[in-house]
Amino acid sequence: MRRDTYRAVVVGAGIVGLFTAYRLARAGAGPVLVVDRGFLSGGGSGRNGGGVRQQWETRATIRLAREAVADWKRFGAEFGYNVWFRQGGYLFLAESGAELERLRRVHDVVRSEGLGSTMLSEDGVARRVPGIAPGATVGGSFLATDGTLYPFPAVWGVYDAARSLGVEVALGVEARGVVARDGVLQAVVTSAGTVRAPTVVNAAGGWSGEFSRAAGLDVPNVASRHEILATEPVRPFLDPMVVRASDGLYFSQTMRGELVGGVTVPHAPGTGRGVPSSPRFLTGMARALVGLVPRLAGLGVLRAWTGYYDDTPDGLPVIGDDPRLRGFVHADGFGGHGFMLAPAATRRVAAAVLGERSDLDPAEFSPARFLPGRTAPAAERLQLG
Amino acid sequence: MVDPPARSPLGSGTGPGGPAAAETLLQSLARRGFPNVVRSVRYHRPRGPFCGLGHCAGCLVRLNGRPNARACRHLVEAGDRVRTENAWPGPRFDLLGALDLLFPRGLDTLHGFRRPAWATRTYHRVVRRLAGYGAAPDPVAGAVPGPAPRGEATDVVVVGAGASGRAAAASLVGHGVRPLVVDRSLGPVDLAGADVVSRTTVTFLPPPRPDGPRPFVLLGFEESGRGVSIRARAVVLATGGYDASLVFEGSDRPGVIAADLAFRLAPDGEQLPFARALVFGGGSRARAVLDRLGPSVAALAAPGDIGPDVVRRASELGVPLYPRSLLVRARGRSRVRSADLRARGRTTRYSVRCDAIVLAHRRLPNSPLLFQAGARMTWRSPPGAYFPETGPDGATSVPGLFVAGSAGGFAEDDRRVSGERAARGAATGEGAREPGAPVPPAAPSELDGYYRELLAERRTGKWVVCPCEDILLEEVEAASRAGFRGIEVVKRYTGLGTGLCQGRYCLPDALLLLSHLEGRPANEVGYITQRPPLVPTPLTALAALANEFGEEAVA
Ligand SMILES: Cc1cc2nc3c(=O)[nH]c(=O)nc-3n(C[C@H](O)[C@H](O)[C@H](O)COP(=O)(O)OP(=O)(O)OC[C@H]3O[C@@H](n4cnc5c(N)ncnc54)[C@H](O)[C@@H]3O)c2cc1C
Ligand code: FES
Repeated sequence: MRRDTYRAVVVGAGIVGLFTAYRLARAGAGPVLVVDRGFLSGGGSGRNGGGVRQQWETRATIRLAREAVADWKRFGAEFGYNVWFRQGGYLFLAESGAELERLRRVHDVVRSEGLGSTMLSEDGVARRVPGIAPGATVGGSFLATDGTLYPFPAVWGVYDAARSLGVEVALGVEARGVVARDGVLQAVVTSAGTVRAPTVVNAAGGWSGEFSRAAGLDVPNVASRHEILATEPVRPFLDPMVVRASDGLYFSQTMRGELVGGVTVPHAPGTGRGVPSSPRFLTGMARALVGLVPRLAGLGVLRAWTGYYDDTPDGLPVIGDDPRLRGFVHADGFGGHGFMLAPAATRRVAAAVLGERSDLDPAEFSPARFLPGRTAPAAERLQLG
Repeated sequence: MVDPPARSPLGSGTGPGGPAAAETLLQSLARRGFPNVVRSVRYHRPRGPFCGLGHCAGCLVRLNGRPNARACRHLVEAGDRVRTENAWPGPRFDLLGALDLLFPRGLDTLHGFRRPAWATRTYHRVVRRLAGYGAAPDPVAGAVPGPAPRGEATDVVVVGAGASGRAAAASLVGHGVRPLVVDRSLGPVDLAGADVVSRTTVTFLPPPRPDGPRPFVLLGFEESGRGVSIRARAVVLATGGYDASLVFEGSDRPGVIAADLAFRLAPDGEQLPFARALVFGGGSRARAVLDRLGPSVAALAAPGDIGPDVVRRASELGVPLYPRSLLVRARGRSRVRSADLRARGRTTRYSVRCDAIVLAHRRLPNSPLLFQAGARMTWRSPPGAYFPETGPDGATSVPGLFVAGSAGGFAEDDRRVSGERAARGAATGEGAREPGAPVPPAAPSELDGYYRELLAERRTGKWVVCPCEDILLEEVEAASRAGFRGIEVVKRYTGLGTGLCQGRYCLPDALLLLSHLEGRPANEVGYITQRPPLVPTPLTALAALANEFGEEAVA
């Protein structure tokens, strides 16, 4: 680390941390340091499915996502890297009338926010998912402007841009805690020494709970392990990201032709933080995929990998100042959708660091909503994987 | 529209007298000449088979409606529908090969295709039309019940029926254990006193779960697409080794092959589809290639000195030798026509007329299952690879997991012995002790410094470092220049190692290349995380096993 004092220390060089640092530097905030104990893209930002959607139950998330879609469309021009953001849509499948009803309620909210989602019949689904097993669905909902992107170039692009604005990124450095006096942050303790800073941003992804707790803050964030796989590449035949809420199945086809996706597999809690793959996931995912699209039976699974979601009790992220420790800013709790939201969410994170007013409804994403005696005002249940 | 001739079926591979007994599709095609059945994924460069082991992307065909099938892994059957793919009208002449010529320096998909913004959709459409190897699998009428899975439970499982695996199995029988031997070769395997699961590839060996009498589970598939699961108390991995690739200009051309393929194209000593081979390598593997190819060898070159018995054999055959040479370039387009060599440390160049280049310079351990199982690995150079830390009986750091033969880095003449020792360990001990045998000191490899010299070479065309994904040396250099360091990051930055071979071929080269580009020892450049499955495993095989694992708590 080049200095002993920074305007802000960002913990985690994932997409959220890097974007936050970039926005702070753009705003002329002063010296910014990003620390990461691993390698670039070693966290969730290098292990996700690249899905970008605006279909949510909660309005606050829809708005954030809509703004993020505009950001992703501009990303190439702004950052010089092509993320291949392809708007092939997100297709939510329903297996029963009740599920279809639920999707219709989401659809109504999404439409009322000005987005053109549509309800599909079984035939409508079959046209968009060539080869889907007859009778596998009763219909679904679809939004054509949702899509998928390549996560890696986004990480490189923001990393390059942040560094060229003077942000210092220290890889292989772990943040271990903070020094506080009278409820005010003084410094951040790292494996490479203690650095003074009035602000620390917790962008530690699946490890954010650990870092908050190391700073003495009791938070409800829990890390959950999620596995994902890619098949061998075949010529693209599938446009949308296909999602089934009942078992958390999701998959899309990348620009290279690989099918990438996952399914929910319950993991025994407290069994370490490695990134192994499990027979249960591999076989369960294969069964789900072949059951839904039988023509894929002979296709080979190329590789599987694992990452962590940073989950909150209400399924919504945590953005902003922690009321218990001045200078401790949360940019965490993104669950399975932190990548897509990062460009928009980090505008609010930067605003919080700079003490600016943010347009976010403070109640929904506020760290204060988990304090004793409070109840979270909303919940997002449309979760996957 | 009428199907253009070259896209029409390749034929079932039956010769005039009907199919030869148990012949692979690749062998059958090779009888009509060197089989150029594919074009590369990005630039549509001509490609041919490289490995013969089912790992590269050089023999992909559409087989009975399924894309990306490996010709070298399929035994010809009457009624097979075989087609070429990813080439129009066909692999010998492919109009899209123009991409290679139009973009001599490659296409930059990382930074390019961003402007103008309104063209985004068009770019996406064009790139998607070109993506993938084969077209998606043929649609089917309804749910296809896959073959019922095979589930086995045993005491000791031996993976691999090569010299060390067979020795281990025989020795286990001697210890009163009836082993289960899994082997992926396509021919019959016969082992007295053992149960054999043949034509089966183990692709996933998760770390053992210490509870219960059989902590290991192995997942794999039969060539027919049947899923296989095996539970065992102890595992002996005798998965052998493989011949590495090498980067030079034109190293991806049809005719540049691993020694492995030379032995598999014509296993019974038939005529190979080439007549003048340049053999690259100066050790025992090169010697074996000389024995197999005999008069079809035009010259032999090696990155370092050439061993005395190789020299002796070469002089018997009248083969000219080029010790301490860089292999700089393979000339020719749809077939190698000559090779350029340069004496190391000098500027003198030699040209050797040849129609094949057989790489026998570096043999690597087949270690992915060891990585998957969580065995502790150490870097050893030569040959420049990670080997398991082992005790004297081949016990790895994972209790109950033993390794024998080349996979464990045991010397070639020690294969049998290492198999027997591992068998003793697996039969008697639980293997729960610390592997302690000191790793032999890393002797300098003749490949150390090889890439430094090679990188200084003038380039006139594409140097493909990752043939599966058509990644160029320039892209790796650019990543390094931009400050992206370490194999994990360079892999994600360039896409190198993410293709069909899962990095088996390109990553060992990349470690040596990056060690020069990053100015640090190859082992500090990183560690290759080995993701399961080891080779593409049919979804249907995995799906059939879902019942077995559906309720299992995940560690
Ligand atoms: C399988 C899977 C699929 C997903 N699919 C999608 C999807 O389709 N769309 C989507 O938008 N999102 C998806 N996600 C979620 C998404 O990946 C994450 O929400 C997002 O990447 C979070 O970014 P981040 O920057 O907050 O965290 P990360 O990228 O995880 O970065 C956190 C970094 O912090 C570092 N760190 C942690 N603790 C410390 C410490 N104490 N000191 C120093 N460094 C530390 C870590 O090394 C890591 O690099 C998926 C996630 C997974 C696992
Ligand atoms: S030659 Fe068949 S996969 Fe390499």
